[in-house]
Amino acid sequence: MARVLIVDDASFMRQMIREIIEPEGHEVVGEATNGIEAVDLYKELMPDLVTMDIVMPKRSGIDAVKMILTDHPTACIVMCSALGQETLVMEAFSAGARDFIVKPFKPDSVVSTLAKVIEKTSD
Amino acid sequence: MALDMAKYRRIFLEEGLDHLGEISHALFDLEKEMASSEAIDTLFRMAHSLKSMAASLGYDTIAELAHRMEDRMEGIRAGGRVRGHQELALLFRSLEMLEAMLAAVGNEQAVPSADEDLLRCLAEDPPSERASEDDVPNRVGGEPKKA
Repeated sequence: MARVLIVDDASFMRQMIREIIEPEGHEVVGEATNGIEAVDLYKELMPDLVTMDIVMPKRSGIDAVKMILTDHPTACIVMCSALGQETLVMEAFSAGARDFIVKPFKPDSVVSTLAKVIEKTSD
Repeated sequence: MALDMAKYRRIFLEEGLDHLGEISHALFDLEKEMASSEAIDTLFRMAHSLKSMAASLGYDTIAELAHRMEDRMEGIRAGGRVRGHQELALLFRSLEMLEAMLAAVGNEQAVPSADEDLLRCLAEDPPSERASEDDVPNRVGGEPKKA
């Protein structure tokens, strides 16, 4: 089970991810609403895993991924993308993001993707 | 796994109405300055967020309109400015339609479809009209709503 930081500017999406992953035993240790908060909270909380939205105010999810991974190369980050954001997801992968989940979220898919990423990370 | 969709419908209404308020403010900002990058970014993000929330709840007509608006804003962002008053009026029409759609959600009525002409205009190339320093704002709405 993982300590998770959820990053999304929409409360709707943050609550949905929380409701999907907490029953699986994951602990949500923090929530950030933009890329600046995400970088700050990552340093403070050192979560096992981050779910990262892409389109956010102040600093995008892509820029936040790059900043987190520059300072913490082993950070485990899963992107939350929408249809049509394939190019941005590829950019996040190039920066070191591990996987992605697609909005609208399918609970089973979110759970299995996070489980796969956590399993790979613990190998 | 079953999520409490009634709860998310409530959150969607609250957050969605906030988003419409932000869209309204951004559009009025664009009336004054058609190259306002902050207003353009806000419109793009709000449309994107509405699309994702609506799709999560199965409000396909809202998601479709928000998606078209997001795509339009992506083009505007790439060009650095709204390309004239026709395009601005189109965005105001989109806002009015989204307001009607969210009102229907709030009243637990069937969500209307966006009219085909609006969807077609959003998908079309922008009009050739160019904004200039001499442009007189062509206000199509009232005062911006409180976010």
